Amino acid sequence: MGEGPPAGAGAGRGGGRGAVRGALRAVHRDLGHLAVGLTLVYAASGLAVNHIADWDPSFRSFDRTHDLGGPIEGDDAAIARSVAARLGVVGTPKDVYRAGPEQLDVVYERRTLHVNPVSGRVVDEGQEPRFLLRAANWLHLNRGKKAWRYVADAYAAGLIVLAGSGMFLVGGRRGLFGRGGLLVLVGAAVPIAYVAWSGGP
Amino acid sequence: MDKRMERRFFLRTAAVGTVVSVLGGGVYALASPDDPRGRQLRPDGRTRLPPGQRLLDALKPMGGEPGDPSPSAFRLKVYGEVDAPFEVDFAGLLAMPQVEQSCDVHCVTGWTMLDSRWTGVRVADLAERARVRGSARYAIFEAAEGYTANVPRAEALAPNVMVAHRFFGQPIPRPHGPPVRAIVPDLYFWKSAKWLRAIRFARVDEPGYWETRGYHNHADPWKEERNG
Repeated sequence: MGEGPPAGAGAGRGGGRGAVRGALRAVHRDLGHLAVGLTLVYAASGLAVNHIADWDPSFRSFDRTHDLGGPIEGDDAAIARSVAARLGVVGTPKDVYRAGPEQLDVVYERRTLHVNPVSGRVVDEGQEPRFLLRAANWLHLNRGKKAWRYVADAYAAGLIVLAGSGMFLVGGRRGLFGRGGLLVLVGAAVPIAYVAWSGGP
Repeated sequence: MDKRMERRFFLRTAAVGTVVSVLGGGVYALASPDDPRGRQLRPDGRTRLPPGQRLLDALKPMGGEPGDPSPSAFRLKVYGEVDAPFEVDFAGLLAMPQVEQSCDVHCVTGWTMLDSRWTGVRVADLAERARVRGSARYAIFEAAEGYTANVPRAEALAPNVMVAHRFFGQPIPRPHGPPVRAIVPDLYFWKSAKWLRAIRFARVDEPGYWETRGYHNHADPWKEERNG
């Protein structure tokens, strides 16, 4: 992905092989730069979603109980306005729903006020999206528009090209027939060994 | 020399990052309570705590693409292989026979909550009203943003399977799929679709959102059917 010699560099040293390597470097370099943004999106989201057992990767939840000190008078809309004003909640509710004598739900985009108009008790609960991760996870889990699938497919294909071209960037003892080859084998052995060790699917 | 240092720096940083990540998960697991209820036996002879699970005191928010939590906007559709498909709004759901049940729920990520309490309507009652045909072999729970979960008919119509609108007597909190979610206690909790919109009875199986992403098609916690 780093800055390499221009395409064709080394042609004088290795002839055709050098020209091919130069072209591969150009492809690898440009594709690598193109892939940086999506790699960060998928890597950050991958880490976040991998640890879903430990946290909600997309949202931060809150839940607070308030006692407004007795009955709240008025019709449902008036109660909703009064509670919002006393709790400092701004915005217009998307729904005010009377589920029963002691339950009025005031629903906002990211929070719901569950109001008991008889007792004056209000449960204020909701979710705030995590900065960037919310969008990254939405893309990663492919819940965006269907068009995103084509972007994700192109990115996956790009990674394959990056991996393939990367193997042939360097020749000699650090290349595919030296330490590079050994590292490729080690990298490939990890999933194979894991499947063998775990018993597989 | 510089390159060697860079490599050393990278390896050291990667190692520290790995240790921190592993310990972070470990600290969370160790924090779970040791509750003797987990060793109790269910009527079917299985332990309440399935293998590979740890106990938590509360439902953990597990993400998912939120749907509209507004009760006014809610409609539940029951359709597919049925003779009398219908749609019911929130008030209509509340007007149906209500059940309150205490049950254990098990998340595929390894936590279990015992004695969670839900109020709602049995799926069996919804199925009876829709007059589900004999040809229906699966119930597909359809939720917001295209999420689906498939459950074999016999398990979907079990008496402890319900569509719930209250959790411990209160409206279902935002992270857990209000205003109505499915509760299928004897399968991993991803089958209990949040932000439920419809129950479709189907002739043939249709693996759902997680089932098509590598999770097990059936999801029995006592058989540890986590991955497909």
